[in-house]
Amino acid sequence: MENTSKRKTIGIWLLSAVVVLFAAFPAHGAIDGITGTTFNLTARPGYISTAEGGSYLMWGYANGIGSGAMQYPGPTLIVNQGDVVTVNLSNQLTMPVSIVFPGQSAVTATGGTPGLLTREAAPGGTDTVSYTFTAAQPGTYTYYSGTRPELQIEMGLVGALIVRPTTNPATQAYNHPDSQFDHEYLFLLSEIDPIIHDQVSAGNMALVDNTTYFPVYWMINGRTGPDTMTPANNPLLPNQPYNSMPMMHPGEKILLRMIGGGRDMHPFHTHGNHHKVIARDGRLLSSGVGADLAEMAFTTTVVPGSTADAIFGWTGDRLGWDMYGHTAGDPLQPNEYAPDHGKPFPVTLPTQLEVTNGQFFSGSPFLGTMGYIPPGEGGFNPNSGFLYMWHSHNEKEIVNNDIFPGGLMTMMIIEAPGVVLDNP
Amino acid sequence: MKIRRVLSIIGLQFIGLIFCALSEGVVNVQCPGDIDGDAQWTGAEVQPPNTQCIHLAAGDGFVTMADGHLQYTFGFSEVTGVLPEDVMSTGMLAAEFPGPTIKVKEGSNVYLTLTNVGMIRRPDLFDPHSVHFHGFPNAAPIFDGEPMASLAINMGSSLTYYYQAPEPGTYMYHCHVEATEHMQMGMLANLWVTPLQDGTTVGGCTAQQYVFNDGDGSTCYDLDFPIQLSGFDSIFHDLHIAVQPLPFAMMKDNYPMINGRGYPDTINPNPLSAPAENGGIQSQLMSSLITATAGQKILLRVSSLGTVDFYTLSVLGIPMRVVGRDARILRSSSGQNLSYITNSVTLGGGESYDIILDTAGIAPGTYFLYAKDLNNLSNNTEDFGGMMTEIVIL
Ligand SMILES: [Cu+2]
Ligand SMILES: [Cu+2]
Repeated sequence: MENTSKRKTIGIWLLSAVVVLFAAFPAHGAIDGITGTTFNLTARPGYISTAEGGSYLMWGYANGIGSGAMQYPGPTLIVNQGDVVTVNLSNQLTMPVSIVFPGQSAVTATGGTPGLLTREAAPGGTDTVSYTFTAAQPGTYTYYSGTRPELQIEMGLVGALIVRPTTNPATQAYNHPDSQFDHEYLFLLSEIDPIIHDQVSAGNMALVDNTTYFPVYWMINGRTGPDTMTPANNPLLPNQPYNSMPMMHPGEKILLRMIGGGRDMHPFHTHGNHHKVIARDGRLLSSGVGADLAEMAFTTTVVPGSTADAIFGWTGDRLGWDMYGHTAGDPLQPNEYAPDHGKPFPVTLPTQLEVTNGQFFSGSPFLGTMGYIPPGEGGFNPNSGFLYMWHSHNEKEIVNNDIFPGGLMTMMIIEAPGVVLDNP
Repeated sequence: MKIRRVLSIIGLQFIGLIFCALSEGVVNVQCPGDIDGDAQWTGAEVQPPNTQCIHLAAGDGFVTMADGHLQYTFGFSEVTGVLPEDVMSTGMLAAEFPGPTIKVKEGSNVYLTLTNVGMIRRPDLFDPHSVHFHGFPNAAPIFDGEPMASLAINMGSSLTYYYQAPEPGTYMYHCHVEATEHMQMGMLANLWVTPLQDGTTVGGCTAQQYVFNDGDGSTCYDLDFPIQLSGFDSIFHDLHIAVQPLPFAMMKDNYPMINGRGYPDTINPNPLSAPAENGGIQSQLMSSLITATAGQKILLRVSSLGTVDFYTLSVLGIPMRVVGRDARILRSSSGQNLSYITNSVTLGGGESYDIILDTAGIAPGTYFLYAKDLNNLSNNTEDFGGMMTEIVIL
């Protein structure tokens, strides 16, 4: 790897790790977003930051009528199955704007002016259009602009809509126990081509050329790695409030709500284990009984405009060695795979001079145990958890405009039993 | 590059590596029952039951594209059976593309030793390397090969990975250090786990080979072939050997390949001739020519480790039955067979498909397996190449 970019990269990673370590994670809901049945949004401009230091003009949905910060992606709208949902939209951009709700039936639009796909809010901030629909089916959905979407989604007018089921809405994604989870996380995947944003920023609307589209930034929830791992509502990222920091204990289940938020497909790879895709586009993969048609995958292609829900579990069973480094007489940890209890670690690790330690490595192969790591290496795994990269496996997409690593990636953390998760 | 300069760089590098080996690194194979460190059991050495050992070297090398263009690569090479004192000299500049195929049995204790022999033609680099067992369930970070959450092995030293190979299926392996760079440079290979059901007759499967423990013979096959898709961006590789800044974001593959070759090299049954630049070591060993007798079932173990593109693969004239995806059988939770017949599959990086071609009733002849994204049927500017191979039914 080229030396200058490496040095820069390490600096960025150190900075981000420091933020991860020392910023207090405010306790918040399972997925950040806004709840209720009436939502007021305003389309307005603002700037986002990329982790290597870039800054780009975006258009986004802000939470509020005429107020609120532009955010990318837009506010995650969290509603309950059966709710009659109203979304009011006003517009502080320089061209008409709208919202479509794919997957929702009988959406009515009032106010504003008629557009190609739906009614639109005219620029100027005084026009308001209202969309109303009944959230009839639970699941993960997306919403985005129905006006010049080839430009406006690229510019950032896209968000997530979550409809909670009537059965166990806090612990299930759908009305069936096959969708049960302990923790849920949003993965809205997207990419941008900064040339388009620079043209819009310069007012050269006529020079925006979709035929030469070539993205060089890739994001999860509007952030490039490693910013994905800094806290939600990070004051350094005022227009990118959502992070991506999945955490769990062995034996627990994570619900992944994956959304294709741009125009490219992304193969999303979960290190550590398979995930079970239980639903697509807000419908359980079912022949009638639960998620009986669910698909196991180690990589799921997330498709533009589509959603997929998956359950990820990790137990550490059949490792062939005791992941806690127990001797046979030690008590079992919760959810420990008993047949491996007390089995010795199978190999001898090389000496410290022979290896390069990762920044998220505890220095020990055992969960919850800290090992020795030379000064300047490791250090960003305070509870000695197991960390796994979750990322686009079109590996070109884990860079930030020529700086590796970054882009469409985050780290999932498995903490030892008893460690309180920062991000519940 | 001037030959004399290269030779002196190689000379310096050897001295550096020897010093390295003396001061900190050492080739260290960990393989139960193997005493002389060659990762094999010979003479008085006793192989423990259910144990497999593999020794790979990670380094650099050269390969030749189907239009004759030489490409600098990083890669893995086979050093199983090589004594420790010979591993550095055997592994240097010996990078294979793709790396050696690994086949292991379900439930066996797999000890894979990786020795980093350094990048001879980029002596300014001191990159560590790793092996990521892509898709292995319930992996632990220490053996996952993802270097930020674990460790990676430095030049001149060895790291041994251990897995119990818990689930059968088609996986892949690759280096995960500086993954965008090392994968684009060619540190990719095929890996699969064969099921315990092999060697028994289930559902009338006389071949006694199955993709999964299916219980009914529905994944029975006679012959299996790896079909690993990837691409090279020649500008990236050319800049790399020229020690220039690397264009990560502008990466754009112009050499789409199957198992490390573009058509018509894919159907060459032999290793491609060795490039002079790596000292005459054969580096593209895998043919993708598929030959079967009518009536046989051909298993295609399809995986993609492309770093840029999605690929859509099609077989013309023989129905493709998809029986597995991402190393899992296509079954509903109630046991219903969800395999299906199709004419194409689409793969992003890191995805795999198990496809059975039943050639019963298929007329003898030559059939084509090729990318339906037709821009991938080229070797850079040369047309009628790229991601294509032939299936010959006798
Ligand atoms: Cu590598
Ligand atoms: Cu991988």
